[in-house]
Amino acid sequence: MNINLKQGCLLIMSAYIVISSSFYFIAKEQLAYSLVSKEMSTSEQLLPLGEIVEGMTVVQPFILNADNLESISLYTATYDRMNVGQLTVQIIDLSAKLVLREKDFDLTSIPNSGLLKFNLENPIQDVNGKMLAIKLTSNGEKGNAVTVWQKNNLSQGQALLINGYETDKILCFSLIGRSVSWVGQYYFYVALLVGFILGIYLWHLILAEKKGRICLGLRVIDAFTKYRFLLSQLITRDFKTKYRRSVLGILWSFLNPLLTMTVQYVVFSTLFKTDISNFPVYLLIGIVFFSFFLESTSMSLMSIVGNANLITKVYMPKYIYPVSRVLSSSINFLLSMIPLLIVVIFTKTPFTLAYLLLPFIIVCLVAFCIGMGMLLSSAMVYFRDTQFIWSVLSMLWMYSTPIFYPVSIIPEKFILLYKINPLYHFIDFSRVVIMQGVSPEPQAYVICASYALIMLVIGGLIFNATQNGFVMHI
Amino acid sequence: MINVENVSMRFFITQDKIQSLKEYAIKFLTRQIKYQEFWALKDISFEVNKGEVVGIIGRNGAGKSTLLKVISGILRPTIGSSVCKGNIVPMLELGSGFDHDLTGRENIFLNGAILGYTKKFLEDKYEEILEFSELGRFIEVPLRNYSSGMLMRLAFSIATVVNPEILIVDEILAVGDANFQEKSKARMLELMSGGTTVLFVSHNLEEIRSMCNTVIWLDSGLIKMIGDAKEVCNAYSI
Repeated sequence: MNINLKQGCLLIMSAYIVISSSFYFIAKEQLAYSLVSKEMSTSEQLLPLGEIVEGMTVVQPFILNADNLESISLYTATYDRMNVGQLTVQIIDLSAKLVLREKDFDLTSIPNSGLLKFNLENPIQDVNGKMLAIKLTSNGEKGNAVTVWQKNNLSQGQALLINGYETDKILCFSLIGRSVSWVGQYYFYVALLVGFILGIYLWHLILAEKKGRICLGLRVIDAFTKYRFLLSQLITRDFKTKYRRSVLGILWSFLNPLLTMTVQYVVFSTLFKTDISNFPVYLLIGIVFFSFFLESTSMSLMSIVGNANLITKVYMPKYIYPVSRVLSSSINFLLSMIPLLIVVIFTKTPFTLAYLLLPFIIVCLVAFCIGMGMLLSSAMVYFRDTQFIWSVLSMLWMYSTPIFYPVSIIPEKFILLYKINPLYHFIDFSRVVIMQGVSPEPQAYVICASYALIMLVIGGLIFNATQNGFVMHI
Repeated sequence: MINVENVSMRFFITQDKIQSLKEYAIKFLTRQIKYQEFWALKDISFEVNKGEVVGIIGRNGAGKSTLLKVISGILRPTIGSSVCKGNIVPMLELGSGFDHDLTGRENIFLNGAILGYTKKFLEDKYEEILEFSELGRFIEVPLRNYSSGMLMRLAFSIATVVNPEILIVDEILAVGDANFQEKSKARMLELMSGGTTVLFVSHNLEEIRSMCNTVIWLDSGLIKMIGDAKEVCNAYSI
């Protein structure tokens, strides 16, 4: 199929219009509101507050910087017994001394060392900056009451009040609210603006081609059409030889992630109790995404050194080698999406339109891996230690990415380390899409895309700067 | 067609190749990194016009292969520039892109793609390649089961199926049994005489004398003599 530049540009333009408008319908709600949550961290030592008996009041003030408050969660305990009575949870406005919402929980329904969730059917509006509080009372008696977990007030938050007296503790709780986001308000204009810029650039390309000028965009298109066949040949070669002489062949692409998931599922659901809901899907998403990263980077690591006999004898652009390796493992990656789909169906996770957002994160991850692969393959040429360093480093990377554990067990002081881990963002993005069936927050798109772009640019620049020396060092 | 201007090629030779960070650190700290510069090519300039057949002669290590690699774009010269107009088919070593787990047919496409042929071209010329290689039904067999003669025949057939504008040959390739050698030699001569610009390295002075217009005599990286084939060959053989 051969298309000329004009047709290609028209195709890109219409694809942009379709994508940007359908994206609006899929992610409407997440564009209009952004979720604001105040998570509690359970990594520090937790202490029981003591039985909440009749006459005792527990008040935890808080301020939520969001437009409304939708739900609160408390970490409760029952002393592992059946208690009879009620726990009353109130949300009060401290300055106006008003009870905003109230709910009675039957003590028998309260989880032991688990989360008690209070979803407000009618969210409290205009909470931004206001001093609110959670107030707990109960009609339980001694020996027949529940408790909540608290911890030391290290972060100097609003202190917990018991019977009106301030303590040096803070309650274990989390809040979820929403804010109106500017992205939703201006989405139409932003999309229009981007479309306009895209249109101008494509117009510029067409003009440049007509006048025979050379610019970056044309060079990229030219290189792509020139080396497309070579790239497709190298990819099929990698893919064909991967499972050649194995009995099950391509089936391994499906079996591998499934078996890894089964092993880890058994280990982590029996040895380490986790309270992640829908753990098989949670786990499999992490495994599929991370093993693609591992496979593609370790394959492209060897791509220059391993093709030494070719590089010294035939001229072709050297970036073809790492790029083809990453692309051939992304075929494998796409195949391993099938077992993921099977597990999704099996666990009755609902399908939504949000699944259409997955190609975005796949493209980001592939671009990130290409950048990483370029960096590693050129480092490998100069220092053969790279392969050993990388095997250790990638293991460290694996354990520091929440693949089989929840983000909530991470101590607060390491949270920054997680926030700068690109793989965490990629995996988190796909978990939100697959498990919650909604689009992630607008900033998640920006974060993922910029990580991918930054890595691609860094890898490309280093590769470009070093590639002339490859022939001398391999 | 080919324009080589002031090309110099420098290699760094260390006593032992440093391939690990530790070695590098130790050597760096103890100041043991001593690079020896080695100039494989020194200030080489010449021009080849369209349709010319240029032979390159010289002793082993004179820089012949390095020069061919610079011209075919595999090595970038340290100083100077080499510009080629037209598609080059370098026949430096045949079959370097073969994958031994793939069948002959798959390798025709893989190796063809590496040599820069298009898909359509390979599909059109497939029968021709198959016929020339005389592989017959073995074309569907993985390459690991081929004899070395069969491998060379396949490689040669793929490499010479095109009519390139510039052909770069490191030693004339006569491969396979006597019959195929005859055939491959005839094919090479056909390619060379068909108006193609040819650069070739050979130690066979007879061949050079009979085929080349111009001969370049390289001696330890320098052009010792350049000019008419007969004159240079006569000077070289003394």
